[in-house]
Amino acid sequence: MSLLKSLCLGAAAIGALAISTGAANAGATLDRITQKKEMVVATAANWPPQSFMNKDNQLDGFDVEVAKEIAKRLGATARFITPEWGIITAGNWNGRWDVSVGSMTPTTGRTRVLDFPAIYYYTPYVFAVHKTSKLDSRAALNGKTVGVEGGTTSEDYIGGKLKIDAVGVPDFTADVKPGTVKTYGDSVGPLDDLRLGDGVRVDAIVSALPTVEAAVKRGYPIRAINDKPAYHEPLAIAIDKGDAELNAKLTEIVAALKADGTLKSLSEKWYGMDYTVAK
Amino acid sequence: MDGLWVKRTEGKDAGMYHDHVRRDRLTNKAWFLGVLALAITAAGILGGIGHTGLAAAFAPVTAALPGGEALVSVWAALGLALILTLNVHLLGRLSLRLQVAAVWLEVLSLFLVFFYSFDLSYSFILGKLSFLITQGVATTLYISAISIAIAFVLAMIGAIARLSNNGFAIAISSFYTSFFRGVPLLIQIYLIYLGIPQLGYVIGAIPAGVAALSLCYGAYMTEIFRAGIMSIPKGQWEAARALGFGPMHTLVLIILPQSLRLIIPPTGNQFIAMLKDSSLVSVIGVWELMFLARTQGRDEFRHLEMLITAAALYWLISIVLEQLQARLERRLARGHRH
Repeated sequence: MSLLKSLCLGAAAIGALAISTGAANAGATLDRITQKKEMVVATAANWPPQSFMNKDNQLDGFDVEVAKEIAKRLGATARFITPEWGIITAGNWNGRWDVSVGSMTPTTGRTRVLDFPAIYYYTPYVFAVHKTSKLDSRAALNGKTVGVEGGTTSEDYIGGKLKIDAVGVPDFTADVKPGTVKTYGDSVGPLDDLRLGDGVRVDAIVSALPTVEAAVKRGYPIRAINDKPAYHEPLAIAIDKGDAELNAKLTEIVAALKADGTLKSLSEKWYGMDYTVAK
Repeated sequence: MDGLWVKRTEGKDAGMYHDHVRRDRLTNKAWFLGVLALAITAAGILGGIGHTGLAAAFAPVTAALPGGEALVSVWAALGLALILTLNVHLLGRLSLRLQVAAVWLEVLSLFLVFFYSFDLSYSFILGKLSFLITQGVATTLYISAISIAIAFVLAMIGAIARLSNNGFAIAISSFYTSFFRGVPLLIQIYLIYLGIPQLGYVIGAIPAGVAALSLCYGAYMTEIFRAGIMSIPKGQWEAARALGFGPMHTLVLIILPQSLRLIIPPTGNQFIAMLKDSSLVSVIGVWELMFLARTQGRDEFRHLEMLITAAALYWLISIVLEQLQARLERRLARGHRH
C-alpha cells in the first residue's frame, strides 16, 4: 500500500509539472475571508522594515500593519504565513493563502499569474557604495561589479530588462552598464558583501533606499550615491488570478486607506517619510 | 629514553590494526619538528602574517625586535612556528587519552576564538535562544522523528519488494529508489509542495516537508534494509523452510529480527543526517530551526549571530544523538560478541 502511495506521490509530483490549472472561482476567496472572518496573508519574515520578526518574535513591519488594517476593513483578522518569496510570486496559490501584502512589484511577467488590485506605495531604488568609495555618480559605475538581489526588480533593472507598466510611476532609464553583476539569494547578501570594503567583492549595489538607510543605521559602512533614484518601484497587493469581487473590494479599501491618511501615517512610521506617492 | 617509548592500543577497541612493534614517536624526532617549524615559518611569511590581527596582538613585542616593519612577518612567523612546534612536541608526550582530549580542547578553543573575532552580540543571542529552542528545535525534532518513522516503513517495504521475485514489485521499488535517491531533496520538497495541489489536494507545508523527507530517506534506507536482509546466511532460510515455515513467516519471524541488528545502527545515522537536511523545508515556510536562524535578527542586521547559534544547536543535538546511537549499537551487539 505504502509503496503504491509513494509511487502515486512521485507520479503526482512529476505530472504536476505539466499541468497548470487552479484559477480561483469568482468571489470564492472573498467569501472564504468573510465567512471565516480570517484573512490569510503571505508575507516574508526576513525583510525589515517591510516585514520581519520583532523582539517578541511576532511579525511586524509596514506590510504587516497594512495587512492587519486591510483585514480589519474586511471584518476579519489577519493570519500570516511565510512561504519563500518565489512560491508567492509563482501564483497558483490554490487557496493556501488569500492575499499577499508583501511589497510586490506588478511586473508584466507577474500579471500573467497574479492579479494586482492596488498599488499602495512606491520605493525609490538607489545605487549604494562603500563609505570609502570615490564613485559618486551613476556614470562612474560603468564597468564596475554590481551586486543585486536575484529575482527582484533590481536584477531586472541592472540587466536592462525591467519593464513596469503601472500607472503613476516616473520614467527611468537603465543607463549603467556594469562589468559584472553578482546576484544574491536575499536582500542582505549584497549589503554584507559591500560592507567588507570598497571593491573587495562588489563596487556597488542596487537596493531599496529604506533598506540602505536601515543598514546605515545599524552601522554598515556604506552610503547611497548622491544621484537621483535609479527607479521607483511600485508596490502592490497581490491576489490569485480570477476573483474579481475580491479585486474590486481591495482596490476600494486601499483607495480609502490612502484617502483617510492611514497609509501615509504608516509609511511615516516605518520609513520616516511618505512613500505613498512617487516623487 | 625508556620513558618515551610508546605502548600502542591493542585489542578490541583498536580501529585499524596496530602491531606490537615499538617505535619512537614522530613528535620526538628532531628532523620532524624542524621540518614542521620550517613549513609554518614559510607559510607565515608567504601569507603575510605580520599584517593580520594575530600579529597585531603582539605588536609591542615585534616592534622591539630589529628589522622594523620589513621583518615583522618574519618575526611573527618564527614566533608562531616556535609555539606550534613546542605544542606538538609536548602533546606528543602525552598518553593517547590525554592527547585526544588536549587536541580536542585546542581545536575547540581555536574555533571559539574564530567566532569571538566576529564581535558578536551575546546578549542578543541569549534573548533569542529560548524561542529558537521552543519553536525551532522542537519543530526540527518532531518533523525529523515523524519522517524517520515513515521512512523506516517505506524502506522495509521497498527492500522486501526489491528482494522478491515479483516483477511488478521489483520494478516499482527500483524506480522509487532510483528517483528519490537521484533527485535533490530540495527539488522533491518543491515538487510535493507545489505539485500535489495541482491534482486538487492542497497539502500543508509541514505534511509536504514530512512527505519529502520520508520519501527521500526511505529510498536511501531501502538499500540499508536490503543489505541487512541479504547479510543473513542462506542456511537460515533453508532451515526455516525445512521446519515448515512459509516464505512470509520465515521473513517476518526469522530473517527480519536478525537483520534488524544490522539495520538499526545505520538508521540512527540516517536520522542524524535527516535532522540537518530537515533545514531544507524552511523554504516552504515551516518555522523550524533553520527558518528562524534566517529570519530572526534581520531587523537588527544580526543574522550572523543567529546562524552561529543555529549551528551550535544542530551540533549539540547531533552529539547527543550520536551518544544515544553508540549506546544502542552496543546493546544490539551484545548477543554477538566473539
